[in-house]
Amino acid sequence: MTKNQRLASRLAIGASLLALCASAVAAGEITWWTPNFNEARARELVAQFQEANPEITVNLEITTTNGLPERILTTLQSGAAPDLIDVQHPWVNGYAQNNLVVPLDDVLEDREDYNSAALDYVTWNDQLWGIPYRVEALAILMNRGHFEGAGLDPDSPPQTWDELLAAAQTLTEAGHSGFAITGGGEVGNTVFRSLPFIWMNGGDIISEDGKTAVVNSPEAVEAVKFWTDMYVAHGVSPTSTLENDGTANRRLFIADQVSMYQSGQFDIASIQEENPDIQIGVMMTPHPEGKDTAAILGGWSWVVPAAAENPEDAKTLIRFLAQSDNMGFFTDTFPARTSAMDLPRFDDPMLQVFAQMLPYGRPLPSHPRWVQISQAYFDGIQRILIGEQDAQASMDLAAEEIQALLDQ
Amino acid sequence: MRRLPTGLVFALPALIVLLMLIAYPVAYTGVLSVTDPSGAYTGLKNYQDVLSSRLTPRAFVNTLWWVGGSIVFQVSLGTAAAILLNQEFPGRGVVRAVSVIPWVVPGIVAATTWAWMFHTEFGIINYMLAGPGLISEPVGWLTNPDTVMPAMIAINVWKLFPFVSIMVLAGLQSIPKDLYEAARVDGATFWDETRYITLPQVRPVLMAVTLLLVIWALNHVTTIYAITKGGPANLTLITPIQIFRLGFESFQFNQAAALSVMFFLVAMVIVALYIRFLASGGETAR
Amino acid sequence: MRVSLPGRLALYASAGLLMAVCLFPFLWMVVSSVKELRELYTIPPTWVPRNPTLSNYATVLFSSNIPRYFLNSLVISLGATALSLALAIFASYGFARFSFRGKAAAQSFVLVGQLLPTAAIIVPLFVTLRWLDLVSTYLGLILVYMIITLPLSVWMLTSYFRAIPVELEEAAIIDGASRMGVLFRITLPLSLPGLVAVTIYAFVTTWNEFIFALCFATDSSVKTLPIGLAEFTTEFNTDWGAVMAASVIMTLPVALLFLSMQRLFIGGLMAGATKG
Repeated sequence: MTKNQRLASRLAIGASLLALCASAVAAGEITWWTPNFNEARARELVAQFQEANPEITVNLEITTTNGLPERILTTLQSGAAPDLIDVQHPWVNGYAQNNLVVPLDDVLEDREDYNSAALDYVTWNDQLWGIPYRVEALAILMNRGHFEGAGLDPDSPPQTWDELLAAAQTLTEAGHSGFAITGGGEVGNTVFRSLPFIWMNGGDIISEDGKTAVVNSPEAVEAVKFWTDMYVAHGVSPTSTLENDGTANRRLFIADQVSMYQSGQFDIASIQEENPDIQIGVMMTPHPEGKDTAAILGGWSWVVPAAAENPEDAKTLIRFLAQSDNMGFFTDTFPARTSAMDLPRFDDPMLQVFAQMLPYGRPLPSHPRWVQISQAYFDGIQRILIGEQDAQASMDLAAEEIQALLDQ
Repeated sequence: MRRLPTGLVFALPALIVLLMLIAYPVAYTGVLSVTDPSGAYTGLKNYQDVLSSRLTPRAFVNTLWWVGGSIVFQVSLGTAAAILLNQEFPGRGVVRAVSVIPWVVPGIVAATTWAWMFHTEFGIINYMLAGPGLISEPVGWLTNPDTVMPAMIAINVWKLFPFVSIMVLAGLQSIPKDLYEAARVDGATFWDETRYITLPQVRPVLMAVTLLLVIWALNHVTTIYAITKGGPANLTLITPIQIFRLGFESFQFNQAAALSVMFFLVAMVIVALYIRFLASGGETAR
Repeated sequence: MRVSLPGRLALYASAGLLMAVCLFPFLWMVVSSVKELRELYTIPPTWVPRNPTLSNYATVLFSSNIPRYFLNSLVISLGATALSLALAIFASYGFARFSFRGKAAAQSFVLVGQLLPTAAIIVPLFVTLRWLDLVSTYLGLILVYMIITLPLSVWMLTSYFRAIPVELEEAAIIDGASRMGVLFRITLPLSLPGLVAVTIYAFVTTWNEFIFALCFATDSSVKTLPIGLAEFTTEFNTDWGAVMAASVIMTLPVALLFLSMQRLFIGGLMAGATKG
């Protein structure tokens, strides 16, 4: 170690020690960071928890969605962290691999009750690093009025890729964009919408063992080509595709410009509020002939930072929140526990198709370089959409970049 | 006991505050750039990794376009606005206050508002151009490779030219009116005045402002990140965004640090050259 | 002196063009802030709202944290501006009027803060603030903002000070004034426009700063307006009407502030200064 490194690490240690002494936290006090869309429900649960556990005080800190990953990362890295944080499933692995959170195997109860894909998500090195509480999968929202106007039956929606394309083209001829894909915004938007098509066709972005980039295999390229052709070859996706993310597509749907687009149940309330005239239909994502559909499992988990001051009480809170009824109450979309799905709020007919997609949900690969890998893949998709390369060439280039990342 | 030079004494409080705030981050970044995540010394490996990325040279070239394009228009429009605002006309105070607005609007809101206005289908710009038939088809401002970077630059120019105009306007106030009067007596026109009196007098302010604009453009993340994130297909990826992505998206802190160090050195060289050759002059006391 | 008619027309036309360019997006923001939710994203877009509503402003003023954050932003921005001015005035005077060994190095050093990429300095700054026990305090944020306000303030003030003729100061010194006296009684009054410009800069920059505030102000007693803006975004939805209303509320005071400072922003302060 050089002199400078010693100085730097001494400064860091000194800072942490000072911080530790300076902030003597009363035992039985924990801080919980939860996003603003959970606020009301969190407050209620906290009140119930504190009644049942009077020796523990919970400081609820509401986080904003903007800048959340950066803020969490900064706080985890600086050695000053709350005791419990709500994070999205894909983030957990990064934290685990960088020793920023603690294992939670001792907190999980009723393992079989949990959505297994959700548990896979937060598992690394055979240990559990988060407790999932929310899962969701995308399906396709459709404008029933457009279907009827184009002579299609909204009650028997397309089931295969060929049917999907045909329906989209018919709808586009009737004057709207038949099937909107995303080409802009956060990388996740496009990965969540296009990767399932690759999976359905038997391909993937990286191999199971995480050693080879397979995004340019024939199955993957066929799927990518099918998906991007919606914009490039068939023109059934709006001209603004490259600047649109899921939310933009929702707005176009509300403005009556789009007939079908991929989305989750979270969009339904907005659509009903902003344009009550639209009759919303939901369909499962079509699959290639003879194969199954697929989806990426999204959702949120609880993690306990390694720098938390009171991890034991945080775990107690998690055990409370993870009880079936509480989890069912807390989640915005679907709970991660199957028994919680019995609650009446999940009986809504609009939610049925989304619930049907859940079993087909798979976790994203848990490679440490996943963020850069998905960025390379997304760049590839954008190259196709912008006309810079065709599907095969673009995926070949993406495979090259991804392979370099895997080899590091 | 030797007395410290007076000038140094004057400058000391500011220097000390800055030193306190900057020393640790600079040291931290430096150390991070030559180690790997476990803290082991790895020499220049991070630098090599970053330089060998396909994105690095591309981001660098994009950055040059971004900085060059922004500066040229920010300075020229800002100076023109300052000269305009220096003239006397009724309502001048209101026009001055209005001209500050682009600068004051929060960066994120300005970025998203412009993105919204530029949107191919929702955007008011296409709508207003299509009305009188100026365009036959909606323009994909943010999706067309030829227009996306100019659109980003246009937003950056709109946001910051008021800064230039305010700074130059302040500088214009210190030009003695006698100079103008003498010139008019000699029969000079408005353009003569501008060329031979106004511009040379504000040269020091312009030089200082230009340097700052260069530094800001080199460091800029907000506008591009909020709208295109560096896309589509990395057409608008500039180096500061690459650093931001490495640090906050990919957890590659060591590489982000290496890129920051290189970036910092390049910027320091520009600043040093600038101070040596262009910013000399002015009157000093003993 | 009368300017010719074509000259004046050109002047008014240019002023009009300048206002239009600056106001166009802001006008779009104002119009959006009085639109109902369902009118925000229509195709084709509309300039005039069909059902103008003040509900967005009601949301912002009565059901959000914006009023509290407004106060916090005010304290922090005023504090940071005052501290920057105090430190910068002295430093700039030193750079403008004196030469000493290492001056070029010191000037370069001052600019260093501006050159550091945000992503690189956030974590170490956070550690520093924790060490000083200043996380989530007004003073902590004000101190950290020195990194972004001081470099430019010093740099710009130096050139404004240099523009003032040295003879004025030397005359005062010969008459027996001290250095400090010269600074406060001659230099500062004559560089008032420059001081106003730097004040506005420091205020505006700290008023709109987001990422430092987000990471260092974790308590709502200290959170600032930009964070308040971000709070209108939930996972899949942004209350754009409220964001636009809040932005209007954030922007207008500063423009009005500048309008009120116009009297200080005048020239001719040195007319006749160097005449015999």
